[in-house]
Amino acid sequence: MAPKAEVRPRPLPRPLMVEAITSCVETPFGEALRLLKLDVLGTDDSPIPITGYYTPCTHPKVSGSLRLSPESLVPPSANSFGSRNYCPVPGTLINTNNIRGFQNLDVEYLLREEAKKILHDIMSGKIEEGPSLLLRFLVISFADLKNWKIYYSVAFPSLVFKSEMTLLSLRSASLVLSQEKAKSLSKSLKEWRSSNETTVLPFFWVDMSSDSSIVIRQLKDWKDCQDSGQKLLFGFYDNGYRQDYPGWALRNYIAFLSLRWKMEKVQFLCYRERGSEPDLEKSLIGEASFPPPHGWDDSDYVPAAIGWEGEKPGDGRKEKKLKEINLESMSPERRDEEHQLLHLKLMGWRQFPVDLKKLSSFRCLLLGAGTLGCEVSRLLMTWGVRKLTVVDGGHVSMSDVLKQSLYVDKDCGVPRATAIVPHLKERCPAVDVEAIQMEIPTPGNPVSTSVLDDCERLQTLVASSNVVFLLTDTWESRWFPTLLCANENKMAITAALGYDSYFAMRHGAGPGTVAEGSDMVAAMSKLSAEDVLGRQRLGCYFCNDVIAPVDSVSNRTLDQQCTVTRPGLASIASGHAADLFTRLLNHPDGIHAPGDIAGTNSEGPSGLLPHQIRGSVSQYNLLTLMGYSSSSCIACSNAVVREYRSRGLDFVMQVINEPTYLEDLTGLTELMKSADYSRVEWVDEADDDEEFADM
Amino acid sequence: MGGSSVCDGTLSLDEFNASAKALVTKWSGIDVDNALPDWEWRPCRKMGVPSETEGFVALEGVYRIGAGSQSEESDDDPVPDDVVEHDTWVQSSRDNVHLYDFHIVYSFSYKVPVLYFQGLQSGGQLLTLDEIKKDLPSHSLQLLNESKWTFITREEHPHLSRPWFTLHPCGTSDWMKLLLHKLGDKDRSLQYLSAWLSVVGQAVGLKIPLKLYCNS
Repeated sequence: MAPKAEVRPRPLPRPLMVEAITSCVETPFGEALRLLKLDVLGTDDSPIPITGYYTPCTHPKVSGSLRLSPESLVPPSANSFGSRNYCPVPGTLINTNNIRGFQNLDVEYLLREEAKKILHDIMSGKIEEGPSLLLRFLVISFADLKNWKIYYSVAFPSLVFKSEMTLLSLRSASLVLSQEKAKSLSKSLKEWRSSNETTVLPFFWVDMSSDSSIVIRQLKDWKDCQDSGQKLLFGFYDNGYRQDYPGWALRNYIAFLSLRWKMEKVQFLCYRERGSEPDLEKSLIGEASFPPPHGWDDSDYVPAAIGWEGEKPGDGRKEKKLKEINLESMSPERRDEEHQLLHLKLMGWRQFPVDLKKLSSFRCLLLGAGTLGCEVSRLLMTWGVRKLTVVDGGHVSMSDVLKQSLYVDKDCGVPRATAIVPHLKERCPAVDVEAIQMEIPTPGNPVSTSVLDDCERLQTLVASSNVVFLLTDTWESRWFPTLLCANENKMAITAALGYDSYFAMRHGAGPGTVAEGSDMVAAMSKLSAEDVLGRQRLGCYFCNDVIAPVDSVSNRTLDQQCTVTRPGLASIASGHAADLFTRLLNHPDGIHAPGDIAGTNSEGPSGLLPHQIRGSVSQYNLLTLMGYSSSSCIACSNAVVREYRSRGLDFVMQVINEPTYLEDLTGLTELMKSADYSRVEWVDEADDDEEFADM
Repeated sequence: MGGSSVCDGTLSLDEFNASAKALVTKWSGIDVDNALPDWEWRPCRKMGVPSETEGFVALEGVYRIGAGSQSEESDDDPVPDDVVEHDTWVQSSRDNVHLYDFHIVYSFSYKVPVLYFQGLQSGGQLLTLDEIKKDLPSHSLQLLNESKWTFITREEHPHLSRPWFTLHPCGTSDWMKLLLHKLGDKDRSLQYLSAWLSVVGQAVGLKIPLKLYCNS
């Protein structure tokens, strides 16, 4: 029913006026577009094909719309979504890179270009094969990723010619047809709509020549049936509900019938439904004339077109109000997390794709929650790490609050392992932190009563983590974790500080086994000189040392104990350590990756992947170094790993109580006696290794 | 058929699928008077390939008009301003039109059907829960306020992986047990969804035609 109080249409015949089609751009479509832009398109702003979903009007008082849902963005070649209320219609999406680009789009030109495609499809006969091409639409948009908004406009191009379309008659189908015919038509329409093949075809023709039954035919069947007489109806799915106007699709349909099938006068059927049933009372039958226009068949001809949605009469195009999708409501739970990952996703646009899945699934074990531990944990979260295990045995003291960047004064006296958790969560709500208060079992240091438990706990922690960061304050406390990592072939990253020099490295892979026979247990103990890829192993933190770990603190003066270090050094070393880790993660060989040397190796997408980085701020030196694993290393050599594998914690306890045992085991005692050893790589900085420690 | 599991108010996946198909067929066979579309079976897609065993039932494109204006049935609202006239086209206002989609999804943890739904403004913006509540008839609101089993939460749609509103399934098996008790033994599991919908539909203002419960 037409509303009473509105402008009545002029008497017939009159220029054809249609009811505009509207778009329903679902918020989830906007969300999908945001992710597509962020994760796939990057800076690419070329037009992409999308799919809209069209339906005939189903409600007595509401006209149907073209829906854009997340499925719309699935590439048409892979998109099989479609059903009776989701007739797929091809469209084009132009998503610009910035708001200026969006505003500067020549919307008039773009509309005509789309109209030209429709004209081409009419002339080439493509419409007969894919009638929905007549409904081709255009979306221009700008995805404001930072503010979670999408700005867009939709156009439904409709061809305009110099010749005018005239409406000759328009009445409810139930009034035009005899009861019998109406029944027959209704039955045929129902069949058409329940067949998967035909229900997605919004344009068809109705053969009424036979008295007994009415047949609905596809456009592509036109050639076979041209002689069937004059009783034809050209039907289309009409999105409109109004009794006084046909829907938008009729205009292009008439253009098609005139240009391709040379008809100057057509009888048309505006097909509408109620619920899921054909509704012939609401459906309209009418007649329109369209004298053939001139000049359109020129190959360069660009047709005029109308169709920008929301354009009001009298308004200039530029004042057209932009539509906006607010995505804030879409996923409030995930929004904070996505904000925090934005910078990493953007790195993928021009730099290198950060493997966020891997980073967020990696559990990072941080040994030490002091100056280095605070910095490294923060940086790892910034890199997208979301699973942290922090181990520390100390308490926050007043002097820590300045140097250890996560703590505040109310944390004083609280165990670091307790204090650090809320500070990490405050910064990154999505992070999963486990914090454990315990001392790392350390050779040569006073043994606590829980040392055996601690050893077992550390074994479990290392085994259940993907990477271990060695950030403790003494050199010797890194021995046991280093051994565990070598034994488990686990990634390990070390950072250490001197007074004005710093050091960051990744440990090499653990020893591989000599594959012999099928006895796994026997094979485990036959260690090879190489890693499992058969490459020479890179060294660990201890590979260049020729002494066993001893208590390096007790017999020192205070300035030596605290290893006085220049402020800022910890930040630099932590930055290198976290960066080294992400590069290692991105390398296809992972832990087995060879060590790059600056100046001699070419860099991968994430940059060089050195083995060790050694820097000094006094001279502004930065060196990338590479050293192979030493066969007499006290932490990762085959002799030590073999001993650990056969004797387990007995061996570890022996070392803790009697560190020089390691020197005998690895042959260091012999080596030192022979006195003519030389250091492998880092000759220039020979003796200050043991001074690397943080606080 | 499958009597034992249905009697305690739950459904197996197979029974759900059978019941869903029965609902789709029955619904399309009856005259739905308030212009509701048909329910459709939607197979889940894994890597673009439709699954043969897993899916859900969808009723999409349900219109609700005029939460802001007067009653739904009045014939004479739109004021002249609501229609924009152009040389070649007119545009009707859809400002008061809301579009709803309903899905019935099988819950593996509760072994019962769960209703998921979303509401859209005519332009596509998602409706908030408050806006949705304004669209509901008063008896639905009463039900939502008073009943223990009907509370609406926002959760990830199991097959679409984006948040939809849902009626929490806890308690479903309890009242379904009571409801099914009254039904005859015959094809109890096939009628499960129709019976379930008669209760759940009320909570979200979905008018279920009575004919759905008549045995043909």
